[in-house]
Parts: sequence; structure tokens; C-alpha cells
Amino acid sequence: MIKVAQLGAGRMGAIHARNAAAHPRLGLVGLVDPRPDVAGPLATELGATPMTFEAVLADPDIRGVIVASSTDAHLDNALSALRAGKIVFCEKPLDLDLARLLAASGELEQAEGKLFVAFNRRFDPHYRALKARIESGEIGALESLHIINHDPATPPPAFIPTSGGLFKDFTIHDFDLAPWLMGEKPVQVFAWASCLIDPEIGRLGDVDTAKVVLTTASGRLCMISNSRRSGYGYDQRIEAFGSKGAVRVDNLTNTAVSVWGETGAQADRFPYAFIDRYAGAYAAEMDHFADVLAGKTAPEAGFAASVASLELAEAAARSAATGAPVRL
Amino acid sequence: MHDIAILGAGRIGRIHAKNVGGQPGLRLKYVVDPVAAAADSLAAETGASVTDLDTALNDPSVSGVIVASSTDTHLDYCLKAVAAGKAVFCEKPIDLDLDRARSAQGVLGGQDVKLFLGFNRRFDPNFQGLKARLTSGVVGALETVHITSHDPAPPPVSYVKVSGGLFKDMAIHDFDMARWLLDEPVTEVFAAASCLVDPAIGEAGDVDTAKILLRTAAGKICVISNSRRSGYGYDQRIEAFGAKGLVRADNVMESTVSVWNEAGAASDSFQNFFLDRYAEAYRREMAHFAGILRGDELPSVGYVDGVEALALAEAAGLSAKTGQVVKL
Repeated sequence: MIKVAQLGAGRMGAIHARNAAAHPRLGLVGLVDPRPDVAGPLATELGATPMTFEAVLADPDIRGVIVASSTDAHLDNALSALRAGKIVFCEKPLDLDLARLLAASGELEQAEGKLFVAFNRRFDPHYRALKARIESGEIGALESLHIINHDPATPPPAFIPTSGGLFKDFTIHDFDLAPWLMGEKPVQVFAWASCLIDPEIGRLGDVDTAKVVLTTASGRLCMISNSRRSGYGYDQRIEAFGSKGAVRVDNLTNTAVSVWGETGAQADRFPYAFIDRYAGAYAAEMDHFADVLAGKTAPEAGFAASVASLELAEAAARSAATGAPVRL
Repeated sequence: MHDIAILGAGRIGRIHAKNVGGQPGLRLKYVVDPVAAAADSLAAETGASVTDLDTALNDPSVSGVIVASSTDTHLDYCLKAVAAGKAVFCEKPIDLDLDRARSAQGVLGGQDVKLFLGFNRRFDPNFQGLKARLTSGVVGALETVHITSHDPAPPPVSYVKVSGGLFKDMAIHDFDMARWLLDEPVTEVFAAASCLVDPAIGEAGDVDTAKILLRTAAGKICVISNSRRSGYGYDQRIEAFGAKGLVRADNVMESTVSVWNEAGAASDSFQNFFLDRYAEAYRREMAHFAGILRGDELPSVGYVDGVEALALAEAAGLSAKTGQVVKL
């Protein structure tokens, strides 16, 4: 049993803490959260002890630290844990500021192999199967990729100013997936973004609807579609087009039940929340962390992937602001 | 009974000629084509006579002319047929040269001119159903549109050289579809294009893979995906995202038969090319032309639509070449 502790007992924290506690090779011993009313009940539920971060860092028996604190604390928390010799699971993003991230590059490059940044979508069994089918060559050489990533409903306006904006907060997932699936880095980013859903989001300086086109050196094209509100659930689809065919992942439905009536056939709804759609991915990434802790594998994504996705996000924001493509 | 002359007995001419025969109230009187063998064979099949352009246009019994000749003659024949007082059904595109097309404004742009431009996809029952659902308000206000338009296999390079290029030859359909669905003027165009399918297409100065973004003044965005070769049939899909949901039209299969075995579930293939996929659309076009000849209907798509689609195609070509957004 490998002992781990976790920072953050909020919405994401609860998912990771439950997965860590349920994992057969991990033991969740400590839970850190400045809000005792949040940390207490979750710690009790999972048989963990509320601790301070200092106590976690000082405990040599705790080998792994899961960072699920607020986004602005991720980088500092991860660095502190790495300095204390821990292996770190950090919720994405590692940071919202590229310059700040790059300022820590010396230390983070040293820690390569000890820092896992949890880009959950890489662990979705459907996307993993899609990648495997691309790599098997059955659709020939990959030519283009379409990623549809639409949230069911807009976040509360209060979230927008601290989110980093649509590209860093939301599209960041797609910016990680695109190079992962294409096997090639984009060299150009073009983005158009509008505020079509909620004027309040526009007043706060953000956008809620975007189309992004990435171009790689060999001319492969990737189109990303984002919306903060679909009106019909969490729309999560990918299509990869190759020289011999296409491979796609469609939306899941809550159940396989459909109803046929005079107006046609009605399938069940799509999962509404990311927690439901990616439940399997969250469990799989904790399993991956257990493997990293056991020295069985290197982290799937870390500092380099964080920098790469953030570079694309910053480039997309610049492109959307200037109306011109951004070369990387 | 309305007598019809058809100019052009090639692939598309044969489709239209046969649909004339299937339309009550229309009778095919003349076939005009400089390739005698083509004209003779079509005339024999349809019971029409072979004649020359002047005879057809000067025959007062002919009330409708179908222009299905080579693209470079479309505009001239439209001008001549309209001058002769005929109602005209012109195969798309109106022309490959925007300035030339615009120069016909005085003759073809008049309100009382009966010129129907055959953008066939507007007549596809699936896309008509999609448009009707959008107009009904069932998904709220339209925000973005995704059009996937991939050909099964690339045309011969000899065709590519005279085609006008991907944007004017192939994407022209999608530009018209976008205009029809967005229902407001497009003000900006961005296109990223590559030659990924066949290097010979690149050597001929064209591209074979493109992602095109269109934006309206209100911020609505349309994405068009084009490929000259899918590897799996004719990929013709549209998704329209609104404030309250999504309307989509999926590919049409050859049959509803599917095979389930150890490898999974295999549906039938997609209808392979436009003659099959849009057979019903071509029939509906002819029914519309019959309505125009009877005086029951006005052309639902005409000269202005042809010019506007061509303007978008030229803008997309310019954007792909310069890498910059083109404002209209």
C-alpha cells in the first residue's frame, strides 16, 4: 500500500480523493483543505486524516501528493511537494500563466518523471481506443481531426474572471488532445471567438463560443469547436479523418434506452456533467498515478504537456483578439 | 405543357434530362451538345431531338432552358436564354470568375428574371428538414453551423486543372449551404488548406483538404470541412447548434442493413457519390423549375446566390493563399 495525501477537497478533490481511497494499491492517509467544514466530512467518509500541508510534506511515509487545490495554487503546491521528494499528481492546469510556468522550468524539468499533470481526457477509454485505432493504421495516414467540446451550461459569472478565459480554462483540454492524437505539434493557431450565449461573459472580458483551426508542419488540420452551453448535455465528440477512412467517438448516452413515438425516435440524454462523462477517465488516471508511484511507468503528461497546451491557449487568445493566425 | 431545351448532355445533363421526363407538365424537346454522340444518345433515350443553340432559343414553343453545359459556358448561355425570354435552370456554378459573373448583373439580376440556379443541396430532403427544424425555433437561435463535405475519391488531375480549384468547384456548395442556413450575410472568411491527398493536385496548383471558417456580423460562425477523398464514401453532414440544442443531418446509408459479429457492428456503406446521394434533390429541383414555369413559384435560389457563393469562394482562396482573414 502506497501512502498518499491530497490537497483540496472541493469538487475535483472529492473525485480524486474517492478514487485514491478506492484504489487497491493506494492508501489515502491525509486530506488538506483550509476549509475544515469541507475537509472534515470527506476525510471521515474516506478514513483519511485532516492534515496541514506542512505535516504532509514532513511525513516521509507519504510518497505521493495529489494536488487538487484551487488552480492558482497548483504550481506552488506541486513545487513544494516535489521539493519534499514527493511524487505529484496535479490536476490540470499546472498554471494559467505561461511565463510563470516557464520561470519554473529549471526545477520542473528536473522533476520530469515525478510530476503527473492529469489531463483526464487522455485517460478516457473511448479516446484511448480512438488513438489506438489511428495508430493501428486502419484509417491510413491521419489528415485531419475534428474535436467538439461543448459544455451543457455556462458556469456562474463569478467563475469567469478567475478561470483564465475560455481558451485556458476550457479549450486547454482540446489543446492537449490535438497534438496527442495527431502525433505532431501545431505550428499555427487560428481562432475566432464570439460571445453569443451570455452577455455577462462578454462584459467580464471573455467569450463563450469559439472555433479554432490548428495546422501542423506537414499540413494536417485540426478543428476545435467550443461552446459554454449546448442546451442538450455535455457534447464530447472526436472525428479523425485518414487517407483510408475515418474513426470517430460519439457521445455516450445515460442509458441505452430509446423511445419510439409518432414524432420519431428519442434516445436517452447525454451525460450532463464532466464528472459523469469522464468518471472512467478519472479512475484510470488514479490507476496511472499508482503505476507512476510504483515506478512502473513514466507520467503520461507533465511539465512539457502543460507548457505545450498553454502555449496553444495563449496563441489562440491572441489570434481571437487580433483576428490573425499566430505562428508558433 | 412546357417544352424544354437542355444544353449539355454530359453526366449532370443526363440527370436533369431524365428528371424533365418525370415531371408532369414538362416535355424535353431539344438536346444541344457539341459532342454529337452524347447529344444523340440522350435524345434517343428521352425522345427529344438534337439541335443547335440558336434553333432551341429561337423556338417560341420552348419556354424553359436547362443549362448543364461545361462550366465556362454557363454565364453566356444564361444571358442568351434570358434574352430570348426563356425561364432558365442553370447548373451551379454561375461562373468561375467573380468579375465576369458580376458583369451580368444588369441582365440577370433583375427581379422579374426567371433564373433558377441549381444549388442541389438546398433541395435535399434531409437538409430541407434540418432547415425547417431550425426555422421552427425548436433549438432556439442559431449560433454555429458545421458542414462536413468530403468527396469519396479525388477527381482526375486533368479535371482539377479546369475545375476552378477546391473552393470554387467543391466548397461552392457549402458556401451556398452556409448562406442559406445562417440566413445573414457573411462578413469574414478564413481558410486553412493543405495538399494531403494527392501530390499531383498540389503540383496542379490546387489543394485537396481545407477547413474554412465564415463569420457573420452578429458573430455566428460556420465551419466547413472539405476533403477530396474520404476513403469511406460521400461524407455529407450538417450540424446546426442553437441556443437550446442541436439539429443534425447525418450521412445516408445504401441500406439500413447492418452486420453484427465479433468485430463489432458494421452498418452499410454511405451512398457513394452525388448522383446517388442527391438523386431526390435533383428531382425536387426539377419540380421547382416546373413550378416556376407554371408561374406558381419564384426561383428560390438564383443569380445573386451564385455571385455571393462565388465571392465567398474567392475570399476563401485568397485567405488560404495569404494566411489572413478576408473581410467582405
